[in-house]
Amino acid sequence: MTITYVLMQNLKRNPLRSTLTAVAFALPMGIFVAAISMVVALIRISESNQQELRLATHHKTTIINMLPEGHRMKIEGLDPDRKRIRAVCGMRWYGGRVPNSQTVIQSLAADADTFPIVYTDAGMTPADTEAWMKDRTACVVGYGIAEQRKWKVGDRITLDSSVPPYLKLDFNVVKIMRTESRANVMYFRRDYLVESLKSAGVEGGLCNIFWIKCADVPSMRSLQDDIDSSFANSPNETKSEDELAFAAGFIQGMGNLPGLMQAMAIVVVVIIAMVAGNTMMMSFRERSKELAVFKAIGFPSRRIFGIVLGESIFLAMFGAMIGIVPTVILLISFPLRQFGFLPIASLEVSPMAVGLSVAIALLVGVAAGLWPAYQALKLNTVSALRRA
Amino acid sequence: MSSADIEIKKLKKVYYKDKMEIPVLAGLDLSISAGEFVALMGPSGSGKSTLLHLIGGLDTATAGSVRVGESLLETMSEAQLTSWRSRHVGFIFQMYHLVPVLTAAQNVELPLLLFKMKSSERKERVKTALTIVGLGDRMDHRPNQLSGGQEQRVAIARAIVTDPDVILADEPTGDLDAKTSEEILNLLNLLNEEFGKTILMVTHDPKAAAHAKKTVHLEKGQLEREEFSNRQPMAAAR
Repeated sequence: MTITYVLMQNLKRNPLRSTLTAVAFALPMGIFVAAISMVVALIRISESNQQELRLATHHKTTIINMLPEGHRMKIEGLDPDRKRIRAVCGMRWYGGRVPNSQTVIQSLAADADTFPIVYTDAGMTPADTEAWMKDRTACVVGYGIAEQRKWKVGDRITLDSSVPPYLKLDFNVVKIMRTESRANVMYFRRDYLVESLKSAGVEGGLCNIFWIKCADVPSMRSLQDDIDSSFANSPNETKSEDELAFAAGFIQGMGNLPGLMQAMAIVVVVIIAMVAGNTMMMSFRERSKELAVFKAIGFPSRRIFGIVLGESIFLAMFGAMIGIVPTVILLISFPLRQFGFLPIASLEVSPMAVGLSVAIALLVGVAAGLWPAYQALKLNTVSALRRA
Repeated sequence: MSSADIEIKKLKKVYYKDKMEIPVLAGLDLSISAGEFVALMGPSGSGKSTLLHLIGGLDTATAGSVRVGESLLETMSEAQLTSWRSRHVGFIFQMYHLVPVLTAAQNVELPLLLFKMKSSERKERVKTALTIVGLGDRMDHRPNQLSGGQEQRVAIARAIVTDPDVILADEPTGDLDAKTSEEILNLLNLLNEEFGKTILMVTHDPKAAAHAKKTVHLEKGQLEREEFSNRQPMAAAR
């Protein structure tokens, strides 16, 4: 038998309480790891997209405000020699849903002629491009959606738009995109959407965003200013940013996720510290006579301190582990493509998130156990024995 | 087997409560020979338990001196007292105070965790101690699987497993029925007579005190009188 064994056995004294405390650690820690990993993955994808030298131009106020499709020509006009701009691709949100489903597929209408140039990471071969250009109803689908919906090249699919005027459109799948960054997105031809919108009596020539494929990084930097300056003081002022900044802004637009993560981490630490602290204090009070006996039979005070603090740390770490390990397994085993809106098909669990969670658990374990451990250290043996 | 005499001189202990002075021991002088079994009696508040705590190094005296064997307790720091206690004193409490989540053997093993000792030696010592108290066949039982008397036996095994010089028992039969009390007292007699342990036992029960060789009566923190028993040693009685 060792002191560690005694410490572990003490936690079995009230199994329900120990379990509930461990679960109180487990749940927030699991959520924390998942959330941080997601943010890290989004940033990772954004960083890899940055190599694509794409500039995003959207309405200065918000991406929901649409820009006239004429902006494309004006942007192209800024570089008539095509030294800085390779191609400009206008896009409009469609937000398609499989009939009778509430899950919105991240689906966008893109300019047919420039999409294969701007989105080289879509991996369009000449044959794919030919198929895309030949069929007005052509669509390219990320592998995440395709696997989930069991779609394959050649399939005819129908989607209902989730935004007014709620158009129902038929599509022909011509390509499954195999890159992670395109895993959960679907593109189809904007001319098809414009035509359909006009048929429904709705203005079709509007875009949410223009993606500009640039020649190089200096071109991106200069174009960013040039584009926004050219539309300054117009009814449709623009904001241009690189893909990383756009993604960061998009994430923040979803509710300042990184900031929310930080706030959540602090709240989690404080709440579970209080829960665990309360548990440890109750445990100490219940056992004060027993700890007095430990002192009476010769256990030094610092060892008693270690036992009480050790229990708290063990409980915190155990709770964190039963939260983190299943979360990690779940995230690895079950791709996130089922949450269709996210541009992440599979999620690499961030070692930083795991490390941070373990550190938080350790910190909380120490914080929660420190006061009871100090009380144990200062426990007056005679008084405690007399209370018996 | 080890044993120690106890020498108490002009021992004073004053407690303070709400700035009020509460004298408990008022210049007590007492000598206990090595290998003696002494019962401490007296009314509540007479200082019996306080004396036990002072002899066991759990508390420090306001004045006076306590010598146990070669050790002068008033000269020792708290850490030294703790270490000394682990080697020289065995405590037995009225409510046993066993760790409920540990088995009888593990409870007895607890004090040995403080010593650098091989696991096999620890196990051997635990087995011996539990066999002495008659619980060699209950080693793997948890406290809730034992009767009160058996729990107290485990507590006694825990007190003797380190082979202390002195055993201090604070009303060890206070929570037991008459028959079980008799068994526990006989066990203490065995430890005293067969193993030569110096035993100091606080009790309110004259029948329990009759098992001791000497009974010390305290009154208001001072020695009122000492009585010597004419009790036959267990071996002779057998």
